[in-house]
Amino acid sequence: MKTDLLIIGAGPAGINAALTADAAGAEVILVDESLQPGGQLRQQTQLFSNLPKNKKKTRGTSLNNHLVESLNASNVKVLSNHAMVGSYLNGNIGVTDGFKTFEIHAKKYILATGAQEEGKIFPGWTLPGVMTAGAAQILINRELVLPGKNAVIVGSNDFAFEVIKQLRICGVSIKAVVEDKDQLQSEKQDLLSDLGNITFLTNSTIELASGSGEVEHVSIRTPSGIKELEADFICISNGFTPILEPFEVMNCKFTYKEILGGWLPAYNMNFQTTNSNCYLAGSAAGITTLGPILLTGEIAAWSVLEELEFISPREAHNQKKECWEELMTLENNNVFQKRTEIIADSLLQDNWNPKSYFTELQGGQIHG
Amino acid sequence: MDKSTIVCRCEEINIDEIENALKNGAQTFDDIKRLTRTGMGSCQSKVCLHPVREIIADYHNKDLQDVGISRMRIPLKPIRMGTLATESKDSNVASVFGESVEEGDENR
Ligand SMILES: Cc1cc2nc3c(=O)[nH]c(=O)nc-3n(C[C@H](O)[C@H](O)[C@H](O)COP(=O)(O)OP(=O)(O)OC[C@H]3O[C@@H](n4cnc5c(N)ncnc54)[C@H](O)[C@@H]3O)c2cc1C
Ligand code: FES
Repeated sequence: MKTDLLIIGAGPAGINAALTADAAGAEVILVDESLQPGGQLRQQTQLFSNLPKNKKKTRGTSLNNHLVESLNASNVKVLSNHAMVGSYLNGNIGVTDGFKTFEIHAKKYILATGAQEEGKIFPGWTLPGVMTAGAAQILINRELVLPGKNAVIVGSNDFAFEVIKQLRICGVSIKAVVEDKDQLQSEKQDLLSDLGNITFLTNSTIELASGSGEVEHVSIRTPSGIKELEADFICISNGFTPILEPFEVMNCKFTYKEILGGWLPAYNMNFQTTNSNCYLAGSAAGITTLGPILLTGEIAAWSVLEELEFISPREAHNQKKECWEELMTLENNNVFQKRTEIIADSLLQDNWNPKSYFTELQGGQIHG
Repeated sequence: MDKSTIVCRCEEINIDEIENALKNGAQTFDDIKRLTRTGMGSCQSKVCLHPVREIIADYHNKDLQDVGISRMRIPLKPIRMGTLATESKDSNVASVFGESVEEGDENR
Protein backbone atom coordinates (compact mmCIF):
# COMPACT_ATOMS: atom_id res chain seq x y z
CA MET A 1 0.00 0.00 0.00
CA LYS A 2 1.28 3.48 -0.88
CA THR A 3 0.27 6.96 0.20
CA ASP A 4 1.57 10.50 0.72
CA LEU A 5 1.05 10.52 4.47
CA LEU A 6 0.50 7.66 6.89
CA ILE A 7 -0.73 8.60 10.36
CA ILE A 8 -0.66 6.07 13.20
CA GLY A 9 -3.20 6.81 15.94
CA ALA A 10 -6.69 8.24 15.40
CA GLY A 11 -6.95 10.23 18.62
CA PRO A 12 -7.64 13.97 18.51
CA ALA A 13 -4.05 14.70 17.39
CA GLY A 14 -4.00 12.12 14.59
CA ILE A 15 -7.47 13.06 13.33
CA ASN A 16 -6.69 16.77 13.31
CA ALA A 17 -3.46 16.12 11.42
CA ALA A 18 -5.33 13.92 8.93
CA LEU A 19 -8.04 16.53 8.32
CA THR A 20 -5.48 19.30 7.80
CA ALA A 21 -3.46 17.26 5.30
CA ASP A 22 -6.55 15.99 3.49
CA ALA A 23 -7.98 19.50 3.06
CA ALA A 24 -4.76 20.54 1.33
CA GLY A 25 -5.04 17.65 -1.14
CA ALA A 26 -2.63 15.09 0.27
CA GLU A 27 -3.49 11.40 0.17
CA VAL A 28 -3.79 10.24 3.79
CA ILE A 29 -4.12 6.84 5.47
CA LEU A 30 -5.04 6.88 9.18
CA VAL A 31 -4.42 3.65 11.10
CA ASP A 32 -5.77 2.83 14.56
CA GLU A 33 -5.84 -0.41 16.46
CA SER A 34 -9.23 0.37 18.02
CA LEU A 35 -12.53 -0.43 16.35
CA GLN A 36 -13.53 3.22 16.37
CA PRO A 37 -11.52 6.41 15.91
CA GLY A 38 -11.29 8.99 18.71
CA GLY A 39 -8.54 7.64 20.97
CA GLN A 40 -8.81 8.66 24.60
CA LEU A 41 -11.20 11.47 23.75
CA ARG A 42 -13.98 8.92 23.44
CA GLN A 43 -14.55 8.75 27.19
CA GLN A 44 -13.82 12.35 28.15
CA THR A 45 -17.24 13.64 29.16
CA GLN A 46 -15.88 16.73 30.93
CA LEU A 47 -16.19 20.23 29.49
CA PHE A 48 -13.12 21.66 27.76
CA SER A 49 -12.48 25.34 27.26
CA ASN A 50 -9.14 26.66 26.02
CA LEU A 51 -9.61 25.16 22.57
CA PRO A 52 -7.91 26.55 19.45
CA LYS A 53 -9.46 28.76 16.76
CA ASN A 54 -12.03 30.14 19.18
CA LYS A 55 -13.85 26.82 19.33
CA LYS A 56 -16.47 27.19 22.01
CA LYS A 57 -16.47 25.28 25.26
CA THR A 58 -17.52 21.71 24.58
CA ARG A 59 -17.54 18.22 26.07
CA GLY A 60 -14.69 15.97 24.98
CA THR A 61 -17.17 13.43 23.68
CA SER A 62 -19.01 16.02 21.54
CA LEU A 63 -15.74 17.28 20.11
CA ASN A 64 -14.88 13.67 19.34
CA ASN A 65 -18.18 13.16 17.49
CA HIS A 66 -17.48 16.30 15.53
CA LEU A 67 -13.94 15.17 14.60
CA VAL A 68 -15.15 11.72 13.55
CA GLU A 69 -17.94 13.21 11.43
CA SER A 70 -15.44 15.45 9.65
CA LEU A 71 -13.23 12.42 9.14
CA ASN A 72 -16.08 10.46 7.59
CA ALA A 73 -16.84 13.36 5.26
CA SER A 74 -13.20 13.62 4.15
CA ASN A 75 -11.11 11.58 1.71
CA VAL A 76 -8.92 10.19 4.48
CA LYS A 77 -8.66 6.41 4.28
CA VAL A 78 -9.29 5.17 7.82
CA LEU A 79 -8.02 1.71 8.73
CA SER A 80 -9.62 0.94 12.09
CA ASN A 81 -8.79 -2.32 13.86
CA HIS A 82 -5.31 -2.18 12.34
CA ALA A 83 -2.22 -2.02 14.54
CA MET A 84 1.26 -0.86 13.71
CA VAL A 85 3.49 -3.80 14.64
CA GLY A 86 6.86 -2.70 13.40
CA SER A 87 8.97 -1.17 10.71
CA TYR A 88 10.82 -2.67 7.77
CA LEU A 89 14.45 -2.27 6.84
CA ASN A 90 13.33 -0.03 3.98
CA GLY A 91 11.64 2.32 6.49
CA ASN A 92 8.06 1.29 5.68
CA ILE A 93 5.61 0.67 8.51
CA GLY A 94 4.18 -2.82 9.09
CA VAL A 95 0.48 -2.97 9.90
CA THR A 96 -1.71 -5.92 10.83
CA ASP A 97 -5.45 -6.54 11.03
CA GLY A 98 -4.88 -9.73 13.02
CA PHE A 99 -4.97 -11.96 9.92
CA LYS A 100 -2.31 -10.58 7.67
CA THR A 101 0.61 -8.23 8.03
CA PHE A 102 1.40 -5.81 5.23
CA GLU A 103 3.62 -2.82 4.67
CA ILE A 104 2.56 0.71 3.98
CA HIS A 105 4.95 2.95 2.14
CA ALA A 106 4.34 6.64 2.74
CA LYS A 107 6.36 9.66 1.79
CA LYS A 108 5.95 10.91 5.36
CA TYR A 109 4.71 9.46 8.65
CA ILE A 110 3.05 11.08 11.65
CA LEU A 111 3.01 8.98 14.81
CA ALA A 112 0.19 10.15 17.10
CA THR A 113 0.05 7.10 19.31
CA GLY A 114 -0.78 8.94 22.52
CA ALA A 115 0.12 8.26 26.11
CA GLN A 116 -0.27 5.52 28.66
CA GLU A 117 -0.89 5.77 32.38
CA GLU A 118 1.76 5.19 35.02
CA GLY A 119 0.81 2.57 37.57
CA LYS A 120 1.85 2.44 41.19
CA ILE A 121 2.74 -0.63 43.18
CA PHE A 122 1.80 -1.54 46.76
CA PRO A 123 1.14 -4.87 48.45
CA GLY A 124 -2.09 -6.15 46.92
CA TRP A 125 -2.10 -3.95 43.79
CA THR A 126 -2.61 -6.97 41.54
CA LEU A 127 -6.00 -7.82 43.10
CA PRO A 128 -9.10 -7.35 40.96
CA GLY A 129 -10.61 -3.99 41.92
CA VAL A 130 -7.34 -2.08 41.57
CA MET A 131 -7.20 -0.05 38.37
CA THR A 132 -5.92 3.23 36.96
CA ALA A 133 -8.09 6.34 36.91
CA GLY A 134 -8.22 6.16 33.11
CA ALA A 135 -9.50 2.59 33.25
CA ALA A 136 -12.23 3.65 35.68
CA GLN A 137 -13.16 6.51 33.35
CA ILE A 138 -13.38 4.14 30.38
CA LEU A 139 -15.59 1.77 32.39
CA ILE A 140 -18.12 4.41 33.44
CA ASN A 141 -18.21 6.62 30.35
CA ARG A 142 -17.60 4.20 27.51
CA GLU A 143 -18.59 0.75 28.74
CA LEU A 144 -21.30 1.93 31.18
CA VAL A 145 -20.03 -0.39 33.91
CA LEU A 146 -19.65 0.70 37.53
CA PRO A 147 -16.17 -0.28 38.76
CA GLY A 148 -17.26 -0.47 42.40
CA LYS A 149 -19.25 1.24 45.14
CA ASN A 150 -16.63 2.42 47.61
CA ALA A 151 -13.42 3.83 46.19
CA VAL A 152 -10.01 4.76 47.52
CA ILE A 153 -8.19 7.13 45.18
CA VAL A 154 -4.38 7.06 45.03
CA GLY A 155 -2.92 10.34 43.80
CA SER A 156 -4.30 13.87 43.75
CA ASN A 157 -3.43 15.35 40.35
CA ASP A 158 -5.95 17.12 38.08
CA PHE A 159 -6.96 13.88 36.44
CA ALA A 160 -7.69 12.25 39.83
CA PHE A 161 -10.18 14.99 40.64
CA GLU A 162 -11.69 14.92 37.16
CA VAL A 163 -12.38 11.21 37.61
CA ILE A 164 -13.56 11.61 41.23
CA LYS A 165 -16.14 14.07 39.98
CA GLN A 166 -17.35 11.65 37.31
CA LEU A 167 -17.39 8.68 39.71
CA ARG A 168 -19.48 10.63 42.21
CA ILE A 169 -22.02 11.51 39.55
CA CYS A 170 -22.35 7.75 39.04
CA GLY A 171 -23.01 7.27 42.76
CA VAL A 172 -19.59 5.94 43.81
CA SER A 173 -18.64 6.85 47.36
CA ILE A 174 -15.08 8.20 47.72
CA LYS A 175 -13.67 6.83 51.01
CA ALA A 176 -10.34 8.65 50.85
CA VAL A 177 -7.80 10.32 48.59
CA VAL A 178 -4.30 9.04 49.41
CA GLU A 179 -1.34 11.24 48.43
CA ASP A 180 2.27 10.40 49.29
CA LYS A 181 3.45 14.02 48.99
CA ASP A 182 2.76 16.58 51.72
CA GLN A 183 0.06 18.41 49.80
CA LEU A 184 -2.56 17.80 47.12
CA GLN A 185 -1.07 18.01 43.61
CA SER A 186 -3.97 19.57 41.70
CA GLU A 187 -4.15 23.33 41.70
CA LYS A 188 -7.35 23.57 39.72
CA GLN A 189 -9.72 25.39 42.05
CA ASP A 190 -12.76 24.63 39.92
CA LEU A 191 -12.11 20.93 40.41
CA LEU A 192 -11.33 21.15 44.11
CA SER A 193 -14.12 23.50 45.16
CA ASP A 194 -17.20 21.31 44.71
CA LEU A 195 -15.85 18.07 46.16
CA GLY A 196 -17.64 18.24 49.51
CA ASN A 197 -16.44 16.26 52.47
CA ILE A 198 -13.81 13.90 51.12
CA THR A 199 -11.08 12.58 53.44
CA PHE A 200 -7.68 13.70 52.13
CA LEU A 201 -4.70 11.78 53.49
CA THR A 202 -1.42 13.45 52.58
CA ASN A 203 2.02 12.02 53.42
CA SER A 204 0.25 8.68 53.19
CA THR A 205 0.65 5.44 51.26
CA ILE A 206 -1.27 2.20 50.90
CA GLU A 207 0.20 -0.36 53.26
CA LEU A 208 -1.92 -3.25 52.03
CA ALA A 209 -4.94 -3.95 49.87
CA SER A 210 -6.55 -7.27 50.77
CA GLY A 211 -9.65 -9.38 50.36
CA SER A 212 -10.63 -12.81 49.15
CA GLY A 213 -10.17 -12.73 45.40
CA GLU A 214 -10.80 -8.97 45.16
CA VAL A 215 -10.23 -5.75 47.04
CA GLU A 216 -12.24 -5.57 50.29
CA HIS A 217 -10.01 -3.81 52.82
CA VAL A 218 -7.43 -1.10 52.45
CA SER A 219 -4.84 -0.28 55.11
CA ILE A 220 -3.31 3.15 54.72
CA ARG A 221 -0.16 4.35 56.46
CA THR A 222 -0.73 7.94 57.53
CA PRO A 223 1.40 10.23 59.75
CA SER A 224 -1.05 9.52 62.58
CA GLY A 225 -0.94 5.73 62.26
CA ILE A 226 -2.60 3.05 60.18
CA LYS A 227 -6.09 3.80 58.90
CA GLU A 228 -8.33 0.88 57.91
CA LEU A 229 -11.04 1.33 55.28
CA GLU A 230 -13.61 -0.92 53.65
CA ALA A 231 -13.46 -0.39 49.88
CA ASP A 232 -14.07 -2.55 46.83
CA PHE A 233 -12.14 -0.45 44.40
CA ILE A 234 -8.80 1.39 44.30
CA CYS A 235 -8.20 3.93 41.60
CA ILE A 236 -4.61 4.98 40.82
CA SER A 237 -3.92 8.34 39.23
CA ASN A 238 -0.17 8.58 38.82
CA GLY A 239 0.10 10.58 35.62
CA PHE A 240 0.70 9.80 31.96
CA THR A 241 3.76 9.02 29.91
CA PRO A 242 4.17 9.05 26.10
CA ILE A 243 4.04 5.67 24.35
CA LEU A 244 7.54 5.12 22.97
CA GLU A 245 7.70 1.77 21.15
CA PRO A 246 6.58 2.99 17.72
CA PHE A 247 9.28 5.66 17.84
CA GLU A 248 11.98 3.24 18.86
CA VAL A 249 11.30 0.96 15.90
CA MET A 250 11.40 4.05 13.65
CA ASN A 251 14.87 4.82 15.05
CA CYS A 252 13.89 8.10 16.71
CA LYS A 253 16.04 9.45 19.52
CA PHE A 254 14.56 10.15 22.95
CA THR A 255 14.98 12.89 25.49
CA TYR A 256 13.80 13.33 29.10
CA LYS A 257 11.50 16.05 30.46
CA GLU A 258 9.71 15.16 33.66
CA ILE A 259 6.84 17.60 33.25
CA LEU A 260 6.13 16.30 29.73
CA GLY A 261 5.78 12.75 31.05
CA GLY A 262 9.41 11.58 31.38
CA TRP A 263 11.06 9.97 28.35
CA LEU A 264 9.73 11.17 24.99
CA PRO A 265 10.90 11.44 21.38
CA ALA A 266 13.09 14.44 20.57
CA TYR A 267 11.63 16.79 17.95
CA ASN A 268 12.07 20.16 16.29
CA MET A 269 9.64 23.04 15.75
CA ASN A 270 8.06 21.17 12.84
CA PHE A 271 7.26 18.26 15.14
CA GLN A 272 9.74 16.26 13.10
CA THR A 273 11.64 13.56 15.00
CA THR A 274 15.31 12.69 14.48
CA ASN A 275 14.09 10.37 11.70
CA SER A 276 13.44 13.01 9.05
CA ASN A 277 10.50 11.09 7.50
CA CYS A 278 8.79 10.67 10.82
CA TYR A 279 6.78 13.38 12.59
CA LEU A 280 4.78 13.21 15.82
CA ALA A 281 1.76 14.84 17.42
CA GLY A 282 -0.42 14.83 20.51
CA SER A 283 0.44 13.27 23.84
CA ALA A 284 3.34 11.45 22.17
CA ALA A 285 5.04 14.85 21.98
CA GLY A 286 4.51 15.52 25.70
CA ILE A 287 1.62 15.34 28.16
CA THR A 288 -0.53 18.44 27.86
CA THR A 289 -4.17 19.51 27.48
CA LEU A 290 -6.64 19.08 24.63
CA GLY A 291 -6.17 22.47 22.90
CA PRO A 292 -2.41 22.02 22.46
CA ILE A 293 -2.94 18.37 21.44
CA LEU A 294 -5.08 19.49 18.49
CA LEU A 295 -2.55 22.18 17.55
CA THR A 296 0.43 19.82 17.53
CA GLY A 297 -1.44 17.63 15.05
CA GLU A 298 -2.00 20.63 12.84
CA ILE A 299 1.61 21.82 12.98
CA ALA A 300 2.90 18.35 12.10
CA ALA A 301 0.50 18.25 9.13
CA TRP A 302 1.50 21.71 7.84
CA SER A 303 5.15 20.65 8.06
CA VAL A 304 4.50 17.51 6.04
CA LEU A 305 2.46 19.47 3.49
CA GLU A 306 5.36 21.88 3.07
CA GLU A 307 7.90 19.08 2.65
CA LEU A 308 5.71 17.38 0.04
CA GLU A 309 5.12 20.74 -1.68
CA PHE A 310 1.36 20.76 -1.33
CA ILE A 311 1.70 24.28 0.07
CA SER A 312 4.28 26.99 -0.42
CA PRO A 313 6.96 27.66 2.19
CA ARG A 314 5.33 31.06 2.71
CA GLU A 315 1.95 29.55 3.52
CA ALA A 316 3.51 26.88 5.72
CA HIS A 317 5.36 29.55 7.62
CA ASN A 318 2.19 31.54 8.23
CA GLN A 319 0.08 28.56 9.24
CA LYS A 320 2.68 27.18 11.61
CA LYS A 321 3.40 30.55 13.11
CA GLU A 322 -0.29 31.02 13.86
CA CYS A 323 -0.49 27.57 15.47
CA TRP A 324 2.62 28.15 17.56
CA GLU A 325 1.26 31.46 18.80
CA GLU A 326 -1.97 29.80 19.86
CA LEU A 327 -0.06 26.94 21.41
CA MET A 328 1.93 29.39 23.47
CA THR A 329 -1.22 31.04 24.83
CA LEU A 330 -3.25 27.86 25.40
CA GLU A 331 -0.57 25.71 26.98
CA ASN A 332 0.44 25.71 30.62
CA ASN A 333 3.57 27.89 30.89
CA ASN A 334 5.83 25.28 32.44
CA VAL A 335 4.84 22.69 29.86
CA PHE A 336 5.42 25.11 26.99
CA GLN A 337 8.78 26.07 28.48
CA LYS A 338 9.95 22.44 28.46
CA ARG A 339 8.69 21.96 24.92
CA THR A 340 10.80 24.91 23.82
CA GLU A 341 13.80 23.33 25.56
CA ILE A 342 13.39 20.20 23.44
CA ILE A 343 13.20 22.37 20.35
CA ALA A 344 16.18 24.46 21.43
CA ASP A 345 18.18 21.22 21.71
CA SER A 346 17.11 20.32 18.18
CA LEU A 347 18.53 23.62 16.92
CA LEU A 348 21.97 22.40 17.95
CA GLN A 349 21.69 19.47 15.54
CA ASP A 350 23.12 20.06 12.07
CA ASN A 351 20.27 18.53 10.14
CA TRP A 352 17.62 20.67 11.80
CA ASN A 353 17.54 24.24 10.59
CA PRO A 354 16.22 26.97 12.82
CA LYS A 355 13.22 28.69 11.31
CA SER A 356 12.76 32.35 11.95
CA TYR A 357 9.24 32.20 13.37
CA PHE A 358 10.39 30.24 16.34
CA THR A 359 13.11 32.71 17.25
CA GLU A 360 10.59 35.50 16.69
CA LEU A 361 8.17 33.80 19.09
CA GLN A 362 10.77 33.61 21.78
CA GLY A 363 11.65 37.26 21.32
CA GLY A 364 14.97 36.18 19.88
CA GLN A 365 15.66 34.13 22.99
CA ILE A 366 16.18 30.41 22.74
CA HIS A 367 15.96 28.60 26.04
CA GLY A 368 17.77 25.48 27.06
CA MET B 1 7.45 -2.06 51.22
CA ASP B 2 6.95 -5.80 51.67
CA LYS B 3 9.59 -7.51 49.48
CA SER B 4 7.08 -10.05 48.23
CA THR B 5 5.09 -7.29 46.50
CA ILE B 6 4.70 -8.10 42.79
CA VAL B 7 6.33 -5.59 40.44
CA CYS B 8 5.92 -7.28 37.04
CA ARG B 9 2.46 -8.76 37.07
CA CYS B 10 2.68 -10.49 33.70
CA GLU B 11 5.70 -12.55 34.76
CA GLU B 12 4.95 -12.50 38.53
CA ILE B 13 8.28 -11.06 39.61
CA ASN B 14 8.48 -9.45 43.05
CA ILE B 15 10.66 -6.74 44.60
CA ASP B 16 12.95 -9.31 46.21
CA GLU B 17 13.78 -10.93 42.86
CA ILE B 18 14.52 -7.57 41.28
CA GLU B 19 16.74 -6.51 44.17
CA ASN B 20 18.53 -9.83 43.87
CA ALA B 21 19.29 -9.08 40.24
CA LEU B 22 20.60 -5.66 41.28
CA LYS B 23 22.81 -7.24 43.94
CA ASN B 24 24.18 -9.50 41.23
CA GLY B 25 25.30 -6.51 39.21
CA ALA B 26 22.28 -5.49 37.14
CA GLN B 27 22.50 -1.83 36.15
CA THR B 28 19.71 -1.31 33.62
CA PHE B 29 16.13 -2.40 33.04
CA ASP B 30 17.36 -4.72 30.31
CA ASP B 31 19.86 -6.37 32.68
CA ILE B 32 17.01 -7.12 35.09
CA LYS B 33 14.90 -8.31 32.19
CA ARG B 34 17.54 -10.80 31.08
CA LEU B 35 18.09 -12.09 34.60
CA THR B 36 14.47 -12.37 35.75
CA ARG B 37 12.06 -12.14 32.75
CA THR B 38 10.70 -8.86 34.17
CA GLY B 39 9.11 -6.98 31.28
CA MET B 40 8.89 -9.99 28.98
CA GLY B 41 5.19 -10.57 29.61
CA SER B 42 2.20 -9.91 27.43
CA CYS B 43 2.13 -6.18 28.18
CA GLN B 44 5.81 -5.95 27.18
CA SER B 45 6.69 -3.83 30.24
CA LYS B 46 3.97 -1.22 29.76
CA VAL B 47 2.96 -1.75 33.39
CA CYS B 48 6.25 -2.58 35.13
CA LEU B 49 8.74 -0.30 33.37
CA HIS B 50 8.17 2.65 35.68
CA PRO B 51 8.11 0.81 39.03
CA VAL B 52 11.24 -1.10 38.03
CA ARG B 53 12.99 2.14 37.09
CA GLU B 54 12.09 3.51 40.52
CA ILE B 55 13.60 0.46 42.22
CA ILE B 56 16.78 0.83 40.12
CA ALA B 57 16.99 4.55 40.95
CA ASP B 58 16.61 3.79 44.68
CA TYR B 59 19.12 0.98 44.65
CA HIS B 60 21.81 2.83 42.71
CA ASN B 61 20.97 6.15 44.35
CA LYS B 62 20.29 7.81 40.99
CA ASP B 63 17.79 10.37 39.76
CA LEU B 64 14.90 8.80 37.88
CA GLN B 65 15.95 10.66 34.74
CA ASP B 66 19.28 8.87 34.79
CA VAL B 67 17.59 5.48 34.62
CA GLY B 68 16.92 4.62 30.99
CA ILE B 69 14.13 2.67 29.41
CA SER B 70 14.09 -0.83 27.98
CA ARG B 71 15.03 -1.67 24.41
CA MET B 72 11.71 -2.03 22.61
CA ARG B 73 11.42 -4.45 19.73
CA ILE B 74 9.03 -5.53 17.05
CA PRO B 75 6.38 -6.84 17.03
CA LEU B 76 4.91 -3.96 19.03
CA LYS B 77 1.72 -5.90 19.73
CA PRO B 78 1.16 -9.59 20.47
CA ILE B 79 0.70 -11.24 17.08
CA ARG B 80 0.53 -14.79 15.74
CA MET B 81 3.67 -15.98 13.97
CA GLY B 82 1.49 -16.98 11.02
CA THR B 83 0.11 -13.46 10.79
CA LEU B 84 3.55 -11.94 10.99
CA ALA B 85 4.86 -14.17 8.24
CA THR B 86 2.18 -13.36 5.64
CA GLU B 87 3.50 -11.79 2.46
CA SER B 88 7.00 -12.74 3.53
CA LYS B 89 8.23 -12.05 0.01
CA ASP B 90 8.27 -8.46 1.21
CA SER B 91 10.91 -7.72 3.78
CA ASN B 92 8.89 -9.10 6.73
CA VAL B 93 11.15 -11.84 7.91
CA ALA B 94 14.24 -9.93 6.89
CA SER B 95 13.19 -7.11 9.13
CA VAL B 96 12.84 -9.34 12.16
CA PHE B 97 16.31 -10.71 11.64
CA GLY B 98 17.68 -7.43 10.42
CA GLU B 99 16.62 -5.75 13.59
CA SER B 100 18.05 -8.31 15.92
CA VAL B 101 21.57 -7.87 14.55
CA GLU B 102 21.27 -4.13 14.28
CA GLU B 103 24.27 -2.03 15.16
CA GLY B 104 24.18 0.42 18.00
CA ASP B 105 22.13 -1.94 20.14
CA GLU B 106 23.69 -0.44 23.21
CA ASN B 107 22.47 -1.15 26.73
CA ARG B 108 20.38 1.61 28.12
C1 LIG C 1 -6.80 6.13 29.84
C2 LIG C 1 -6.54 7.58 29.54
C3 LIG C 1 -7.46 8.55 29.94
C4 LIG C 1 -7.24 9.89 29.68
N1 LIG C 1 -8.15 10.80 30.10
C5 LIG C 1 -7.90 12.13 29.93
C6 LIG C 1 -8.83 13.12 30.39
O1 LIG C 1 -9.86 12.81 30.98
N2 LIG C 1 -8.56 14.43 30.17
C7 LIG C 1 -7.43 14.80 29.50
O2 LIG C 1 -7.21 16.01 29.29
N3 LIG C 1 -6.54 13.89 29.06
C8 LIG C 1 -6.74 12.58 29.26
N4 LIG C 1 -5.84 11.64 28.82
C9 LIG C 1 -4.63 12.11 28.13
C10 LIG C 1 -4.81 11.83 26.63
O3 LIG C 1 -3.54 11.40 26.25
C11 LIG C 1 -5.26 13.08 25.86
O4 LIG C 1 -6.44 13.60 26.39
C12 LIG C 1 -5.56 12.84 24.35
O5 LIG C 1 -6.51 11.82 24.14
C13 LIG C 1 -4.31 12.55 23.60
O6 LIG C 1 -4.59 12.57 22.22
P1 LIG C 1 -3.68 11.83 21.19
O7 LIG C 1 -4.36 11.98 19.89
O8 LIG C 1 -2.29 12.29 21.35
O9 LIG C 1 -3.66 10.30 21.69
P2 LIG C 1 -4.85 9.25 21.98
O10 LIG C 1 -6.15 9.89 22.18
O11 LIG C 1 -4.31 8.38 23.07
O12 LIG C 1 -4.89 8.41 20.63
C14 LIG C 1 -3.86 7.55 20.24
C15 LIG C 1 -4.44 6.50 19.34
O13 LIG C 1 -3.36 5.74 18.82
C16 LIG C 1 -3.74 4.41 18.73
N5 LIG C 1 -2.52 3.60 18.74
C17 LIG C 1 -1.52 3.59 19.66
N6 LIG C 1 -0.56 2.72 19.31
C18 LIG C 1 -0.96 2.16 18.13
C19 LIG C 1 -0.40 1.19 17.25
N7 LIG C 1 0.80 0.61 17.49
N8 LIG C 1 -1.09 0.86 16.14
C20 LIG C 1 -2.30 1.44 15.86
N9 LIG C 1 -2.87 2.36 16.65
C21 LIG C 1 -2.21 2.72 17.77
C22 LIG C 1 -4.63 4.18 19.93
O14 LIG C 1 -5.53 3.12 19.71
C23 LIG C 1 -5.36 5.52 20.04
O15 LIG C 1 -6.61 5.51 19.42
C24 LIG C 1 -6.06 10.29 29.03
C25 LIG C 1 -5.14 9.32 28.62
C26 LIG C 1 -5.36 7.98 28.88
C27 LIG C 1 -4.32 6.97 28.46
S1 FES D 1 3.94 -6.11 33.96
FE1 FES D 1 5.93 -6.64 33.39
S2 FES D 1 5.67 -7.36 31.36
FE2 FES D 1 3.67 -6.80 31.94
